[in-house]
Amino acid sequence: MNTAVLAFGNRLRRVPVSVIVVSIIFLAIVLLAILAPWVAPADPNKQTLLARLKPPGFEMRGVTYWLGTDDLGRDLLSRTIYGAGVSLSVAVLSVIVSTLVGVTLGMVAGWFRGRIEIVIMRLVDIMMSIPAILLAVLTVAVLGPGFLKLVLVLGLTRWPRYTRVAYAQTLQVANLPFIKASELAGAGAARILFHHILPNIAGPVLIVATAEFGLMILMEAGLSFLGLGIQPPSASWGSIMSVGRQYLERAWWIVAFPGACLFLLVFSVNVLGDWLRDEIDPRSRTR
Amino acid sequence: MLRYAVERLIQAIIAIFGVLTIVFVVMHLSGDPTLLLVPQDASAEMIAALRHQLGFDRPIWVQYLDYLQGLAHFDFGVSVVQRVPAIDIVLSRVPYTVMLAAGALVVAIGLGIPAGILMATKRGGWLERLLTAIVVTGQSVPTFLSGIVLIFVFGVTLRWLPTSGSGDFASLIMPSIALGAISMSTFARMTRISIIDELGKDYVRAGRARGLSLGAVVVRHVLRNASIPVITIAALEIGNLLAGAVIIETVFAWPGIGQLAIQSIQSRDFLVVQVIVLLISFVYVLTSVLADFVYALVDPRIRLVR
Amino acid sequence: MSAKFASIAAVLLALTASTALAQTKDTLTIDLPNDAATLDPHLQWNTDSYTIYRNIFDNLLTRDAKGEIVPQIAKSWKYLDDKTIEFQIRDDVTFQDGSKLTAEDVAFSINRIIDPKLKSPQLSQFDQIDKAEATSPTVVKMTTKSAYPALLAQLVKLSIVPKVYVEKVGDQEFNLKPLGSGPYKMTNWQKGVQTELEAYSSYWRTKPPFQHVVFRTVPDVSTRIADLKTGKADLIREVPPDQAESIKSDANSQVLSVPTERIGYLFINAQAGATKDVRVRQAIAYAIDRQGLVDALLEGYGKPVEVLGAEPVFGYTDKVKGYDYDLDKAKELVKEAGAEGATVEFLTSPAYSRATVEAIQQMVNEAGLNVTISSSDQATFLKRRQGDPANAGGLAFGAWSCACQDTDGVIFPLFRTGSIWAKYSNPKFDEAVDKARVILDQNERLKLYEQAYEVLRDDVPGIGLYQAYALYGANKKLHWTPTANEAMFVTDMSWQQ
Repeated sequence: MNTAVLAFGNRLRRVPVSVIVVSIIFLAIVLLAILAPWVAPADPNKQTLLARLKPPGFEMRGVTYWLGTDDLGRDLLSRTIYGAGVSLSVAVLSVIVSTLVGVTLGMVAGWFRGRIEIVIMRLVDIMMSIPAILLAVLTVAVLGPGFLKLVLVLGLTRWPRYTRVAYAQTLQVANLPFIKASELAGAGAARILFHHILPNIAGPVLIVATAEFGLMILMEAGLSFLGLGIQPPSASWGSIMSVGRQYLERAWWIVAFPGACLFLLVFSVNVLGDWLRDEIDPRSRTR
Repeated sequence: MLRYAVERLIQAIIAIFGVLTIVFVVMHLSGDPTLLLVPQDASAEMIAALRHQLGFDRPIWVQYLDYLQGLAHFDFGVSVVQRVPAIDIVLSRVPYTVMLAAGALVVAIGLGIPAGILMATKRGGWLERLLTAIVVTGQSVPTFLSGIVLIFVFGVTLRWLPTSGSGDFASLIMPSIALGAISMSTFARMTRISIIDELGKDYVRAGRARGLSLGAVVVRHVLRNASIPVITIAALEIGNLLAGAVIIETVFAWPGIGQLAIQSIQSRDFLVVQVIVLLISFVYVLTSVLADFVYALVDPRIRLVR
Repeated sequence: MSAKFASIAAVLLALTASTALAQTKDTLTIDLPNDAATLDPHLQWNTDSYTIYRNIFDNLLTRDAKGEIVPQIAKSWKYLDDKTIEFQIRDDVTFQDGSKLTAEDVAFSINRIIDPKLKSPQLSQFDQIDKAEATSPTVVKMTTKSAYPALLAQLVKLSIVPKVYVEKVGDQEFNLKPLGSGPYKMTNWQKGVQTELEAYSSYWRTKPPFQHVVFRTVPDVSTRIADLKTGKADLIREVPPDQAESIKSDANSQVLSVPTERIGYLFINAQAGATKDVRVRQAIAYAIDRQGLVDALLEGYGKPVEVLGAEPVFGYTDKVKGYDYDLDKAKELVKEAGAEGATVEFLTSPAYSRATVEAIQQMVNEAGLNVTISSSDQATFLKRRQGDPANAGGLAFGAWSCACQDTDGVIFPLFRTGSIWAKYSNPKFDEAVDKARVILDQNERLKLYEQAYEVLRDDVPGIGLYQAYALYGANKKLHWTPTANEAMFVTDMSWQQ
């Protein structure tokens, strides 16, 4: 087992206050997201045309809209709660996709070398030369928008970053004596890659993944804001704000509350991520 | 070293070519602009006729070869939507994006580096904590949100800055701040970490032992040594700025190539999209190659490994 | 020291005040959602390009405020036979470079736009024209391929370009530096940013009211409104109804609005999916509360309609009734058709009001169907909507205007068998609209359209929802009465005294 990971446990006892506060916020958001169907006071998609653009605290027919309503009279509180689930699930799933694709390709390139290495690394260059937003717009133009396609787009635009790290790390680890020993003992490539190399490059990969997580949340929000991500009537914080932007003067709450939640989530992810990265491998501090 | 350079360049050209092909194929898979150009009462025959006149009914590989042939003569084609050469359209908008990126870099570097220096030299104090909070905040606010809020507060409510437009310096302020905020965080962090690394080195202790103050050591020696990774980061940040520019240009109605790209994709103006992609990928590859060169100069292991 | 400061301040203040005043007086700034694609009037057909170039060029004919076709460059016309028409051209018109506009220019303009080499997207509007020639400096003879009653309505869309200039500089240069005979000449075009026009003092029709006009490209509606409030723009277009309040409450702005010929409508696929059954379509019609939509989403800037038509459109009838809002009836019909829970795909794109689409979705879902929204970009939307019925979705919302104020431009392309928009076929309907297209007797036409609307009522391949009002935001001091055809002629505007 990686010594760094063991040492991590020891350091847990010296967690700063800010990290604790932020973890609580993050966990609260995650819980809200998971428990949304039980916690949300109303159906997030239920429109009440007579209750459009009403301020927080508005009450009609016995229903109180704690955070106000949006432009179709839907309860903003419920939509915001469900939006948490959207932001988190898109981010988690796309990070998983990128990690799976990226790390596998990186290890393969680093282990087998030669032509496969060249093809994969050139592919990495190509993918990194197109700004993610443009790739997303292009993909949406062909495939159409939607939750799964969004996850795919985000996952497939970011895998090169994981590949680069996995590749560089694999190159270093591949020369270690115990790897050479297993090779000589007749272990197959798959076993070597996934049983021996993977655990040893997990640290740096995890570092990239935690940094990417916050970025994925922001990118989903940005794409939904542009109308290319989560489609109506599903609630994503980005798409709610995209609508609310027109009503900033008349109904500031539509932008304010999802915006505040988005900020809090990304802020806590960033602080937590920084701390985790420091703990896992202080040598590769990025802060 | 020369061999490495040549290799890298060839790889760069292949990368740009690959991007071009992928984008070409993807765009053509999504249809063509004919339906968007014709009046709504056009008949199916007239639409087919226009499609034929514009050449979109040819097989995709024919259109691709045709395009490549044009490229060989540096002919990037004529936009079917605007009926002027695609390269002219793109070049007329590049200055705006460059201005925006420059403005954002000024904000990012101008605020980020001093913040990073302070965070590195005043460790453990309230100032470091405050700056850290600001830096993480800058990284956590989505660009479109800061853009909207800035326009609303400074443009509409306070009327200090113009709500739209791109002609004068005043209109550059808000978009630059919105775009530069995230990069500022990156610069602050990199500066801090690289200065902290330097501060642990022997020459710093030697300098202090000779009686120099921390400030003098930082200014005279540390900054120079810490600047190498920061320069590399700057090269890579340009790529991130271009990506963020797309959203900022949309929010602020800034007529740069980000906005042009989105509009051209939606209006299926293939040739304009291709020129933009060529240009952007060229810039990306250039900066990544430059960054690699700097790394290779600094760390010979990378050259050997390849 | 303070006296010097005060005097400098006073001078500066006076300068800014006078330039501000001067600016308000002689420059009109208009914010448009998009830049012109081309300023060559023959190379595109889109509203924003038209809005700008229509002030640079004159057309052969035009429509008055009531929608009647009236002369512009052509003084008068007479039919020599079914296929030949002769136009008398005004002889007092000059282009913006001083050269005289003659019948040669008119003939050239017509022949240019129908030339396949130009690849004009507008070709479909003029392809019935065979050729045109100038038989004298003031007479143009035009021949069509067959008898074509809609010719004059189409010629309203033809701009006259200068033959000598176009031939001299070539098409591409003409596109970048257009020259017309209209009230304003283009002085500067910053693509994607703004277009600057300057008054042409020798304009034949009237004195242009502003010395300068600037059309700015501002894609985002909130930014346009912000521009209006801060005085950066004097006139803005495409104001959503629920922003009207915010403009009205601003001290320096006003809302200008007019009922138009544009109709908000719902398309229902009659050839594929759950909506193939006419009972399902009727259920959808019963499920929609048109008045509710207008009240809530349009905030009064719209009027519910019973047919897919509106008053300013010739052929409109109030004798055919639509389906009243009756949710119980809707649920019943859905049950009867065995379509409970059936999936209906609602096709849309960012070009159409998202709120309206979602509101309709909820209304139809209440009847027992399961409507899912499929949003794509406009190009993909058109490809699906205009393609194979099986892939054209079950529902689509749009706001249709033919810019011709004639029912032929509305229900013919939407529902006639064979049209790219029609996922519906009824020979009785085809017969009625085909005949109405070629008859000249107005009363006959009205009767035929009434029949056509009755067929549409029974078959429900679509529903008229509301007549749209055009909404503009303007500087309080701007005097302008918008028209039902949504034209923006600067010569109709002026500062209030």
